[in-house]
Amino acid sequence: MRLALSVIVAKILILIGKIMGTKSSSAPGRFAMKICPDMIARLSKQVKKEIIVVCGTNGKTTTNNIIYSLFDNVVCNNVGANMIDGVATAFAVKSNIFGKLNADYACIEVDELSTLKVFKQLKPDFLVVTNLFRDQLDRYGAIEITIDALKKAVDLLDDVTLVLNGDDPLVTSFGMETGKKCVFFGVNEKAGEPLNEVKDGKFCRNCGKELSYDFYHYGHLGNYHCDNCSFTRPDINYSAKDVDMSKGLAFTVKDTRVSVNYRGFYNIYNILAGFAIFDTLNLDTKLFQKMLSNYKPQIGRMETFDIGIETVLNLAKNPAGFNQAISTVLCDKRKKNVIVAVNDKPSDGCDISWLYDVDFEKLKDANVVRLASSGIRHNDLAVRFKYADLGESYDYEDIKEAIMSCIDNGAEVLYVLVNYTVLFSTQNFLRGLSK
Amino acid sequence: MTVNIAHLYPELLNLYGDKGNILSLKHRLLWRGIEATVREYSIDEDVDFENTDIIYIGGGTDKEQTVALNRLLEMNEQLVSFVEKGGTVIGVCGGYHILGKQFVTENETLDGLGILDITTKKANKRYVGNVILDTDFLDMPVVGFENHSTVTDTGDLKPLGKVTFGNGVTEGVIYKNVIGTNLHGPLFPKNPQLCDYILKKTLENKYSEVTLTPLDDSIENDANNYIINRFSK
Repeated sequence: MRLALSVIVAKILILIGKIMGTKSSSAPGRFAMKICPDMIARLSKQVKKEIIVVCGTNGKTTTNNIIYSLFDNVVCNNVGANMIDGVATAFAVKSNIFGKLNADYACIEVDELSTLKVFKQLKPDFLVVTNLFRDQLDRYGAIEITIDALKKAVDLLDDVTLVLNGDDPLVTSFGMETGKKCVFFGVNEKAGEPLNEVKDGKFCRNCGKELSYDFYHYGHLGNYHCDNCSFTRPDINYSAKDVDMSKGLAFTVKDTRVSVNYRGFYNIYNILAGFAIFDTLNLDTKLFQKMLSNYKPQIGRMETFDIGIETVLNLAKNPAGFNQAISTVLCDKRKKNVIVAVNDKPSDGCDISWLYDVDFEKLKDANVVRLASSGIRHNDLAVRFKYADLGESYDYEDIKEAIMSCIDNGAEVLYVLVNYTVLFSTQNFLRGLSK
Repeated sequence: MTVNIAHLYPELLNLYGDKGNILSLKHRLLWRGIEATVREYSIDEDVDFENTDIIYIGGGTDKEQTVALNRLLEMNEQLVSFVEKGGTVIGVCGGYHILGKQFVTENETLDGLGILDITTKKANKRYVGNVILDTDFLDMPVVGFENHSTVTDTGDLKPLGKVTFGNGVTEGVIYKNVIGTNLHGPLFPKNPQLCDYILKKTLENKYSEVTLTPLDDSIENDANNYIINRFSK
């Protein structure tokens, strides 16, 4: 009875949210759990087939949405509300008002530090970890705290298969330390533009010595081993070969050629995670490419607009994300304008010292006509550009002005790189300008 | 004139955009026509104290900080004599704490390098946020960001400044030409006067009388003012 009531309350709150035009993906779950604290446990037990959870610093939402696209009849928090309230909301949405859930699969993205709370109720069959990077340090303390939290959470699960990025030594050692069954994915060959980045995971968690790398993909991801102990990149069960990034993205995994029309090296990992689950469940991999085409990249992930100049909007939340965006900018040889906008609201992280961990120096060789800074911390970005020796840059408090200054100055493409709370207003503005 | 900067163990100690401090030191010399070199030391290299004018030690996680400390303890005699002869050392966060007599990590209390007569203890909370300091040697306030769960007893040493916004009463220390502070953000790009102060001290120690030509710091000052306007009453 309590369960049914909690679902009804959540559904009413979602409806009110819709009428008021406020997207509420956390509040309905929060109130529902006040009525029925174990609603996630009771609803998730009714999932008929598999429960898949996605964690990791970057690529959570994309990976979760890719996996979601591979199945039918799925519970999914695909709007990215990844704390326990958001998980509760997702299950309430899919349930009927009597607390009965009709779903074959659940694909749930969970914030790493929320896993301990969530896994007390939700018992995934698969846990994907995309990567572990430095992220919003003022919230996370340090990466070690994240790994410890994940380990404690996984301890609550009896029968789980970990689907892990084997190119990430932090993820790999996390997996080995749990003692659970691990399936690894990775990229076996060098691809993409090299950047000068801070690398978080360079030290062997086993013995503390610095890891040796045959090659890096980005950040601390690559082909690594420890010269001092036995720790090494694991045997990769699902490895990408023959990577082609000249137009969209294409690669081969286990004799299946995968190709998509969106960019970004990191998307190889996101797709590999989906393939690993698909194949582990013995589904017909011939259908993979077809199912994958159901997935459309979300807003602000290299999203393009035509506002009189081709414009590419990209969200990045941390140095690894920004470096990946810069790497994509470098792949584009055209004359370009670049706007970088950074806010420091709580969901962005209040500490912006990471701006110095982004390799903005690379923009020197990027054929940039006009470089502009914006967002709440535009002043700090302007200082960052100055000390990156990038020559003249323009400083705008208002990103709309920054965009307007970049439409008609002879450049062929405009890149707008933003962090979280800059995204939505910028996207709305670009939509309004679109032809 | 040349200033040689030794950036110690950036692969280990780089938690809070420490690269920004190095860029500031370097560029503010180069922009004035003074030569500057930056050598990044890896953990297995011995520091060339003879040919070093500034030693920079940043912050890392507990594990990384301990590795760095153990390595520095092997060179401690030379480091002490470097400081006593007026060499410049800048320690930020963990790099500050290990310069003291004692400091804590998550699990243990360790003996530090003992260059500064300070001890760092565990606080019962984590201090995270923007900080503003008033100093008695700069016109502009010093702004930065702190993120640590420690309290440092600085004894009789001169503090870097009085806290006008943020936690505690004073922050950091200055001893001879050593600056130790919890403030990152990073520190020097937004505090050009502080960067110039330590550059001047460094040059004076090497070449006696020195005047630094003024630079156009309007972009840096705007970033500094922004923090002051937003957080100070």
